[in-house]
Amino acid sequence: MTRDTQWPRWEVFKQDRPDRPHEAVGTVHAPDADVALLNARDVYVRRPSCYSLWVAPESAVFKMTAYELETTPNWWKEDLPEEAPEETYHIFNKQTQRRSMVAVTHVGNIQARSSREALRKAIDSGQFVEKIAYMWWVVPESAITRSNEEDVPSMFEPAEDKTYRDQSYYTGSVFARRSQRRPEDIRLS
Amino acid sequence: MSEEKTYEEKLAEFEARIQRGEKIEPGDWMPDEYRRQLIRMISQHAHSEVVGMLPEGAWIPHAPTLRRKMILIAKVQDEGGHGQYLYHAAESLGVDREELIAALLAGKAKYSNIFNYPTLTWADIGMIGWLVDGAAIKNQTMLAHSSYGPYSRAMVRICAEETFHYKQGKEMITIYAKGTPEQRQMAQDALDRWWWPALMMFGPPDSQSIHTKTLMRWKVKIKTNDQLRQEFINEIVPEFLALGLKIPDPDLHYDEETGNWVIGPIDWDEFWRVIRGNGPMNRDRLEARRRAHEEGAWVREALEAYAQRQRQASMN
Repeated sequence: MTRDTQWPRWEVFKQDRPDRPHEAVGTVHAPDADVALLNARDVYVRRPSCYSLWVAPESAVFKMTAYELETTPNWWKEDLPEEAPEETYHIFNKQTQRRSMVAVTHVGNIQARSSREALRKAIDSGQFVEKIAYMWWVVPESAITRSNEEDVPSMFEPAEDKTYRDQSYYTGSVFARRSQRRPEDIRLS
Repeated sequence: MSEEKTYEEKLAEFEARIQRGEKIEPGDWMPDEYRRQLIRMISQHAHSEVVGMLPEGAWIPHAPTLRRKMILIAKVQDEGGHGQYLYHAAESLGVDREELIAALLAGKAKYSNIFNYPTLTWADIGMIGWLVDGAAIKNQTMLAHSSYGPYSRAMVRICAEETFHYKQGKEMITIYAKGTPEQRQMAQDALDRWWWPALMMFGPPDSQSIHTKTLMRWKVKIKTNDQLRQEFINEIVPEFLALGLKIPDPDLHYDEETGNWVIGPIDWDEFWRVIRGNGPMNRDRLEARRRAHEEGAWVREALEAYAQRQRQASMN
């Protein structure tokens, strides 16, 4: 079989409302960023609500768990040329072990010369975490492709009319009230 | 660092983390067996979602109303999405989606046995939603508590969406059970055919389930096959009976002491026969997947060619 479906993986970050942060919902496969955005819409936005999607090549996302930070000595060490230019890095993390459908949440950004340096600075600053972070992701601004605000009506709003995708649509008069009878009162045949 | 931890030390640490209720994330140390079991379970689960599109998709052109057609299209589309969530979770463990799909198309991968049975009437669509998806939700709600982060998150997302599948099926069967004699007969016939295969979905009995002990120790699973099956039976039996439908099991009875609905013996020979490829629809399902894969090849080639040209243009 030819290798024809694997394509690069893209991490998908979804923002539910303009006042909410972007959250990592999963990955898609796509040959380029535009198709990645379309696939991300089809896979992760079949329901309301979505205001914006970001995609970034999975290989460009630097990920460290708390466990890795703890068990990898000198994890921040790297050969970085002094004159390497600074750019913007987006910081995401996970601060709860509660049941959730998202991996990490966008908590801000930082100027740095590499993802590793960005993570070290983010942790040192203490401003991106309240108590504990179980997982950190760093994404360079240059790796992100975003949906446009003018695409919101065509990409995301159609999902809002499809109310039959929501379970609350089915609470009509069709359902009899829950049987109050005891099991032995129900005739078996 | 000078001294590397031994395997036993790492394992003890790993199990302590699970005991504390922490999620294991990609990148964390995990025993090979944990990784292997998760890849096995998640990939089977992903294949089930994708193959599961076929028995229901077959009825989209024959839906009796536009409303039912829209609902069914949305549901089948959801199953495709669920397959993608799960392939994503499997890929976080170091396998490629492509190799998993190749194994499916080659007939080497397992998927849920239930999809090797045919959908003979429209009422089967309602019964799959209520009974089959109901059984699936039971299992998936448990797996949402799984110790592996990506699997747990995929399950939380799937359960939220799957509730719609269950409700639309229950609505349909409720209407038919209260409808004309013909509608009622269709609902009964669907229950007769799907009842036992649905109970088999929870997997072999605990006494024969080789993986259960390890999976529970590492909290990949929280409950055993038999526990989940019994909980499901207890929930759904009174609902069918309240609608006046008959459960196709002469031995079924309510046990006052345990509060359980007790079923007769499950025909595990049938289960193994179907899982080994000799069910009514095994060949058709794989054939349909292969055809879809081949017929979609030109789309993938066109997207790839376009992406390549864009890359070349940006380099020039």
